[in-house]
Amino acid sequence: MASARSRGGLFPQVGGGRTAAIAAILVGALALQSTVVAQVTLLGVIPQLVLIVVVSLAFTDGPRVGVVTGFAGGLLQDLLLPQAIVGLTALVYVLIAFAVGSFREYSTTESVWAPVIAVALSSFVAEASYALLAVILGQPWVSFVFTTKVIGLVVLYNTLLTPLLFPLIRRVADRFRPERVHRW
Amino acid sequence: MIRRRSGRGRLLLLVFLALCIVIITLDFREQAGGPLERARNFSLAIVAPIQKGITTVTRPIGDFFSSVGDLSHLRTDNARLRTEIGNLQSQIDQARSVIGENAQLRREMNLSASYVTARRVFAQVDGRVPSNYKWAVFLDKGTQDGIRTDMAVVNADGLVGKIVQATPHTSTVLLLIDPQAGAGARVQGIGDTGVIQGQGGSESLKLSFISPNANVSVGDSVVTSGYDRGIFPPQIPIGSVNHVSVSGAQLEKVITVTPDVNFTSLDVVQVLVGSGPHHHGKHRHGKKSH
Repeated sequence: MASARSRGGLFPQVGGGRTAAIAAILVGALALQSTVVAQVTLLGVIPQLVLIVVVSLAFTDGPRVGVVTGFAGGLLQDLLLPQAIVGLTALVYVLIAFAVGSFREYSTTESVWAPVIAVALSSFVAEASYALLAVILGQPWVSFVFTTKVIGLVVLYNTLLTPLLFPLIRRVADRFRPERVHRW
Repeated sequence: MIRRRSGRGRLLLLVFLALCIVIITLDFREQAGGPLERARNFSLAIVAPIQKGITTVTRPIGDFFSSVGDLSHLRTDNARLRTEIGNLQSQIDQARSVIGENAQLRREMNLSASYVTARRVFAQVDGRVPSNYKWAVFLDKGTQDGIRTDMAVVNADGLVGKIVQATPHTSTVLLLIDPQAGAGARVQGIGDTGVIQGQGGSESLKLSFISPNANVSVGDSVVTSGYDRGIFPPQIPIGSVNHVSVSGAQLEKVITVTPDVNFTSLDVVQVLVGSGPHHHGKHRHGKKSH
C-alpha cells in the first residue's frame, strides 16, 4: 500500500524492516479476525484485533506511528467489507491512536494494566463512535439491543485478549526497531 | 521511553484525518470500476491467501477432535453408508433421465431453466468479513472459475446470498441475513409475491409486501420468486414462516421467516454461474476480468 511505502521517508527512524513488521502484524490480525477468532467466539460477535494492534503501537511508539498504523489498519479493514463506508474505520482508528499516543507522552505510569485499560477505553469509544457514524452516514441500523451487545462484547473480548497480544506486538515491533536502545 | 515532541504529530493527525474524509467522499461518489474498487480487490488479494492458510490449518484440527469420540461408530457407519451409496446410485441414474426429460419439456413449453439443473461452481468458505455489522463470507473461487458479481449462491439447504465482489481467485458473498440483502420471494402455494430481507443480528428474515388478505400460516415454506432483476432463479428454498401478524397501520402482513440455511456454519456453497443479470444481456458488473 502507498502509505506503507511512504512511511520510510516520513519517519527515517522507523525503518523499512519495521514498516514491514507492522504491516505483517496488521494483515495477520485482520486474517485471524475473520477466520479462527470468528469461529471460536461466542454469540456471533468478533473481537477487533486490528484495534488492539493500533492501540498497542500507539501506546509503545507514540501518536505518529499510531496515526499511520491506525490509518493503514482501519482502511484495510474497511476495504474488506462489502457495502460499507470505506474510510470510516480508518477515521475512528486515527483519532483513537492519536489520543492514546498523546496521552502516553504525558503520563509516566509504568503499570502493566495501563495498556489493558487503554484498549478497554479505546474499544468502547471506537465501537460506539463507529456505530453512530455509520448510521448517520446511511448504513442500516439493526437495533439498539444488538448494537449494545456488540459494543459490550467487543470491549470484553478485546480487554481479555490484550494481556496476551500486547507483549507479543511489543516484542515484534521492538525487534525491528533500528538504532535504539531499549529494554526487554 | 518516548522522547518525540507532538508538534509534527498533530500535523500528521490532520493530514490523515483529511485523507480519511477524502476517501469517505470518494466512496460515496464512486461508480463501478473506480479506484476504490481496485483497492478493494487488491486488499482481498492480500488477505485471502492468509485466510486460506489459517483455515486449512485449523479445520483438520477441529475435525480430528470431533472424530476421536466417534471411533466406535465408524465400522457400523461404514456398512450403513455402503448400502446407502448403492441406493443413491440407482436414484442418481433415475434422476439423470428425469433431468433430461425435464430440460426437454421446458424447452418445448418455453419455460426458463430450473435452478436445480443450473450450472454451478462449488466453493469453500474461507472466513467471514472482519466486522460485526456485516454478514458476508469469503469464497476460495473467483472470476477464473466463472464467478461474477450478482450471481446467486446456494447450498444443499437453500439460498445463501449473492456475490458482491469477485477477484481472480476469491470472491465475497453477501449473506441473505445481512440487512442490505434481499430477494424476491413468495410463499409456496400462494400467488402473492413479496420481498425477503435480512435483519442482521437476529438471523430471522422479514417478508414484506404480502397482501393482508393472503392466507399465510406458520410453517409455510418460502421460496424465491425470480422477480428481482433476474439475480435469483425461482423456486430456491429460503425458509419457513415462524410468525405472522397484521400491522393495522400499514395494511400489510408482518411475516418473519426462519432461514433453511444455517448461516453460522457455512462450509461448501454452490455459485449458480448461469444466474445473475449479465446472463440476460444487461452488463452492470463493471469489472473487467484481467
